[in-house]
Amino acid sequence: MKISKKLYSYYLIWPALLIYSIFFVLPALTGLFYSFTDWRLDRESIKFIGFDNFERIFTDRTLLLAIKNTAIFAVVTVLGKNLLGIALAVGLNMKLKSKNVLRAIFYSPSILSVLVISIVFTPMLRSDGTINRIFDAVGLHSLNQAWLTNPSIVILTVAAVSIWQHTGFQMAIYLAGLQSISKEYYEAATIDGAGSWRSFRSITIPLLLPAININLMLTLIGGLKVFSEVFVLTGGGPGNASQVVGTIILRSFGEGSWGLGTAVNTLLFAAVTIIAIPLLIFMRRKEVSE
Amino acid sequence: MYLTQTSFYNQNVNGFTTIENFTTGAIHMNDKMKKIATGLLAGVMTLSLAACGSNNSGSGNASATNNGTGNSSNTGEKVTIELAISKSSQDSAFVAQDLLDEFEQKTNIKVNLQLLPAEQTATVLQTKLAVDEVPDLIQYNLASAVTDLNLERNFEILDNEPWVGRLLNKDVLSANDHVYSFHVSQDTGMQGVVYNKDIFKELGLAIPNSYEEFLAVCEKIKASGVTPVFMPFKDNWAANIWPAAAFADWAAKNEPSLFDDINAGRKKWSDVPEFATFLQQQYDVYKKGYTNTDILSDSYDMAVGKFLNKETAMMFMGDWLIVNVAEKDPSMHLGLFAIPSSDGASLGASPLGGQLFIPKKAKHMDEAKKFLEFIASKEVAQKIVDAQGYVSNFSDVTTPKLPEYKQEIVDQYITPKKTVLTTDAYMIVDRSELYRLLQDEFAGGLDPAGVLKAWDEKFSQLMKDKGAEGF
Repeated sequence: MKISKKLYSYYLIWPALLIYSIFFVLPALTGLFYSFTDWRLDRESIKFIGFDNFERIFTDRTLLLAIKNTAIFAVVTVLGKNLLGIALAVGLNMKLKSKNVLRAIFYSPSILSVLVISIVFTPMLRSDGTINRIFDAVGLHSLNQAWLTNPSIVILTVAAVSIWQHTGFQMAIYLAGLQSISKEYYEAATIDGAGSWRSFRSITIPLLLPAININLMLTLIGGLKVFSEVFVLTGGGPGNASQVVGTIILRSFGEGSWGLGTAVNTLLFAAVTIIAIPLLIFMRRKEVSE
Repeated sequence: MYLTQTSFYNQNVNGFTTIENFTTGAIHMNDKMKKIATGLLAGVMTLSLAACGSNNSGSGNASATNNGTGNSSNTGEKVTIELAISKSSQDSAFVAQDLLDEFEQKTNIKVNLQLLPAEQTATVLQTKLAVDEVPDLIQYNLASAVTDLNLERNFEILDNEPWVGRLLNKDVLSANDHVYSFHVSQDTGMQGVVYNKDIFKELGLAIPNSYEEFLAVCEKIKASGVTPVFMPFKDNWAANIWPAAAFADWAAKNEPSLFDDINAGRKKWSDVPEFATFLQQQYDVYKKGYTNTDILSDSYDMAVGKFLNKETAMMFMGDWLIVNVAEKDPSMHLGLFAIPSSDGASLGASPLGGQLFIPKKAKHMDEAKKFLEFIASKEVAQKIVDAQGYVSNFSDVTTPKLPEYKQEIVDQYITPKKTVLTTDAYMIVDRSELYRLLQDEFAGGLDPAGVLKAWDEKFSQLMKDKGAEGF
C-alpha cells in the first residue's frame, strides 16, 4: 500500500506564492534596479548611473572598514559559536545528573531579546564595569580594556557578546545530531581499542557533519547579516570603528542616499549567496550516511 | 478550506476503499473544485489585506463629513484643510482643539489633523510631497525642512503675508533670505554651558569669559571633589554642542560669509585653523581630567541625574536640559553661559523648531494662509505666547514673565544681541557623520585636523549627491 505524498494540491501554494512575490520578490528586484541609480531624497528624477554606487562602496574608507568588520565578525562568530557549541553539546551529552538544567541554562540567552542583552552588557563592559573589576580582583589588571570604546577591539567585543548569546542555540542542534549517532559505533570502537579522542574524531565528527553543515550555514549567514548586536551595543561607534555592512545600510538611508543604500544591500545579498551556496555544496559532498 | 474538507468527506462516503484510491482520486475528481477553492482563498486573503489598507482612510473621511454636516450652521461652503504634524508634537499650541474650533467658527474652515508616527515623520512627509498627496499645512522644524524636505522646491514663500511686517525676528523663520515658515515665538532654545549656580556660589566662582578662565574654574571645581564637566559622548551629537557654537561665534566675528562660501564649495572646513583649535579645546577639557572618566560609555539620559545628585557642575548642552532638571526638582538653580571658546563669546542659538509651513502644492492655499493670519492676530498670538511662556516674535504681542534662567538669558545675551545661530543652522546636509567623527576624536582615532579633513570629504560627497553647485 502506497501513501501518496500529494495529500494537498499544489494549487494551495498560490496565495502564499502571490504574497511572497508581491512582498519579497518584487521589492528585491526593484531594489536591484535602484542600486544602479542615483535615487536620493532630494532628487526630482532618478537617473541610471551604472556601477557608480558600487565603485563608491569600494573607495569609501568607512564602507571598506564596514566590510572588514563584517568579515571579522563573521569569522570570529562562526568559529566561536561552533567550537563552543560542539564542546558544550559533547559535554552535556554525557551522563550528568544536572545535564537538563545545564542545557536549559546554556540555551536560555538565545531566547532573550538583543536589546535586553545590550542593557545587561553595556554597563558590564564599561571601563569601570563588572568585567574589568573581576580582572582587578584576581590580579589581572593588565587585561583591563575599554571594551566598547576602544576602536581596535570593539568589533571583537560585539562578536563575543553574540557568541555568548547564540552558542546555546548551536549547542541544541549539535545535541540533536549527537543523539542520532548509534551507541554501537562507540562500543565497537572501544573494543577495537580506540581512545575518546580517536572516537570523537573518527565517529562523532563524520556522523555529526549534517549538524555541522547546518550550523555553519546559519552562523555564517547570521554573521554576514549582523546588524542588531552592533546597533544596540555601539551604534557603529566609537566614531565608525564598529560599523558593519548592516549599519552602513541604515546610515546611507538616513543620509538620504537611497540608491547607495540599496547598492550596499544588493552587495550584501550577493556576498551571502556567493559565499554560502558553494560552501553548502562542498559540505554536502563531505557528508556520510550511517 | 471548508470546501476542500467537505469534498474529502464526500469522497469517503462515496465508497473509495483503499487509501491510495482515496487520496489520488480525491485530487483527480476535485481538480476544478480545488482550483476554485484555492482561487477563492487567495482572493479572500488579498481582499483582507486590501481592507486593512483602506479601512483607516474610510473611517477618517466618514468622521470628517459627519463633523462637517453637524457644524454647518455657518453660511457658505465648508472647506476642510489638512494639517500634518508628528505625533510627538501633538501638544503643540497651534493644534489645540479650542483654537481649531474658534477658527472654524470664525471662518467656516475646518482643520483636520493628520498625526504622523514620530519615528517616521520625515519619511511620511517626503513620500506625501513626492507623490503630490500634500497636506495644506505641515508643522516641522525649519532647519530639518531644509535638509529633509527640500524646502525651496516644496514650500511656499511667505514674504508677502500680512503678519510678516510685525515680526521682530524674521531670521528664525527664514531660509535663503525668504520667510518660509510661521511661528509666534522667537525663543529658539539656547546652547552653551549649563552650570549649577549653587556650586558656583559656594566656591565663589564667576562666569568664565575666556578659555583660560574656564580651565581655572574647572580646576577649582575639581579640587572641591565635584566633576567639573559631564560629557555623555556615547551619544555622539553631544560632542557637537561646543564646536557648533564656537565655529559660528568665530565666523560671525571674523568672516561672516564663511558658511555661504563653504556651502558653495569655495572654502573648506579645514581652511580655518581656529576650528581645529576649538576642537582641541574641548578635547583638552577631557584630557586634563575635568570630566567623567568613561565619556564614551556615558549617555545623555544620565545627565539629569548627574545634576540632581550634584555629581557634576557643568555640561555643554542646550537649555532644554535646565527645563528637564527643573521638572524633577524645581529647587535646582541652573543657568547657561556661552561656550568659552574665545574671549566674550556669544551664546549659541539653536534653529527654532515647530514652525508651520505651507506646501507649494497645497490644495487649499488661501485657507491655509488664513489659518496663519488667524494665529498671528494680536489676541490669539498673545494667548498662545502667555500660555506657553514664549519670547514673543510680534511687535504688538508682549512676552510674559519668564522662568529665572530664561530671563537671565534674555537680559545677558538676547537683549544685548550676544547670540549667534549655531553651525547647525547653516548645514544643509545630514550631520550625523560629523558627530561620529567628533566622537572618534575622543576615541583616539582622529586628531582635530583629521576630524575636519574627514568631514570635508564627507561633506563634499553629500553636497555633490545633493546636486549643490560648486561640488
